[in-house]
This record gives sequence, C-alpha cells and structure tokens, in this order.
Amino acid sequence: MIVDGFFITGAVITLVSTLVCVVAALIRQPPNDITILSVAAVELFLLVYGVAAVFRQLGGEAIAGETWEFWGYWLTALLVPVAAFWWAILERSRWSNLVLGAAGLTVFVMLYRMEQIWDGALPV
Amino acid sequence: MHTDHHGGSGTLPAAGSETATVSKASGPGRLLVAVYGVFALSASARAGYQIATKFSEAPLAYLLSALAAAVYIVATVALAKSGPRAYWISVAAVSVELAGVLAVGLLSLLDPAALPHDTVWSGFGKGYGYVPLILPLLGLWWLWRYRRRIRPA
Repeated sequence: MIVDGFFITGAVITLVSTLVCVVAALIRQPPNDITILSVAAVELFLLVYGVAAVFRQLGGEAIAGETWEFWGYWLTALLVPVAAFWWAILERSRWSNLVLGAAGLTVFVMLYRMEQIWDGALPV
Repeated sequence: MHTDHHGGSGTLPAAGSETATVSKASGPGRLLVAVYGVFALSASARAGYQIATKFSEAPLAYLLSALAAAVYIVATVALAKSGPRAYWISVAAVSVELAGVLAVGLLSLLDPAALPHDTVWSGFGKGYGYVPLILPLLGLWWLWRYRRRIRPA
C-alpha cells in the first residue's frame, strides 16, 4: 500500500476522533459536542474521500484492485459513523463515547483496506 | 456484583427493575453491542464475498464464514434486545461463537491443511487482532453479570 495524502489525512482524523472519544469516556463524560463533531468529521472525510475517488477515476487514475470492492467498503464505511451516532445518543452515558470512538477505529481499518484495494491488493 | 462499577453512567435501571434485561445493552453493554455489530457487518461482507466469488475453492471454509456471520448477527440483535428470551438467545449465540473460535482455531493449528482458506475464526481470529477470541469471553462475562436480572424478583 502506498501511503498517500488521503491515507494520512484519514488516519489522523479517524484516530484523533477515537482518541478524543476514549479520553471523554475516561473522564466520564457523556457524548458531547466535541465527541459528536469528531465523528461527524470522520463522516465528512469519507464523503470527501469518495468524491475525490470519483474525480481521480475520471481523471484516468484507475483502481488497481476490484472497483466494486472499493465502493462496497466505502458505502459500508459511510454507515459506520451514522450507526454509531444513533446507537450512542440513545443512551447518553460515558460508554456511549466508546461507541463513538469505535466508529473512528473501524473507519480507520476500512480506510486502510480501501487504500490497499486502490493500490491493487488482492481480496481476502 | 453491583452496578455501581459503572459509576457515572447513571442510566442503568435499578437491580430489581422488572424489565431488567434492558440494561443488557446499557453501559458497557452498549459498547459490546457496537463491537458485535462491527463484526456482524465485516463477517457478513467477507462471507458474502467468498461465497459469491470462489465458493467452489473451499466450500467448508466459506460455509464456516457464513456460520460465523450468522452467529454475529444473532448475537448483536439478541444482546441489543431486552427480555429473557433475548437473554438466552444471546447466551446461546455467544457460546456457539466461543465454541466456534476455539474449534476452528485449534483445527487451523493442528491441521492447517484441513482449512486452507482463512475464516474469521482461523488461528483464533488472529486476522482480526484476536478480537473474535476475546469478544465471546467478554460477552459471556457480561451476560453472567446480568443473570439475576432475568429471574423474577
């Protein structure tokens, strides 16, 4: 996998979001603006990543791996922050911040996989 | 076992509450359901992909993948729902999961040729950071803690 700007940006956003949520849980805070916005930032990054991927492909940069697998990961990843937000705000306890933190970590792993597919990794 | 271990959450129903299993998806249970949800999603995607594209290569391994996915889905839903029925379904699902990860893990260790293709549970889930091994233990511990809640007071 080639470490590019997309991966670095995404890794920073997702991991910072996870860190913020875990710290908030450790200091016993229920989900607040900061943790929820950090998860929103993860979703925003995914949207930008997806739009950029469309333009990169239109510009002639092909996905080296399976195209449908890349977009399958992307669509699934889009659902993760939304589902985590929904599940977390139904109960506003500090544990819900760990649910929000799990979203960032999950999206990070999925981004890693998407970057591998983009650069031509074989499917598992 | 007392709920005050979760100090700060403040939303757990009292121990004598009649719809006590609501609390199964509360506090730490909330995170447990979320992690199970992630595994339900990834195991389903992986099994669906394997069966759709290369089922004939290793039918047994990919059927195991599908079984793992089904177990994760049942466990996620049962852990999230309240009521004694959901409680026992989650106990069963999490136990099957533990048995599965131990059996497949042992098999892949003792006889690697029997399962040449990876499943979620191969090598005790090492492809997933051993979370598949730890998750059912945490799940059973969590359900054990709530065992009294499902009996009539």
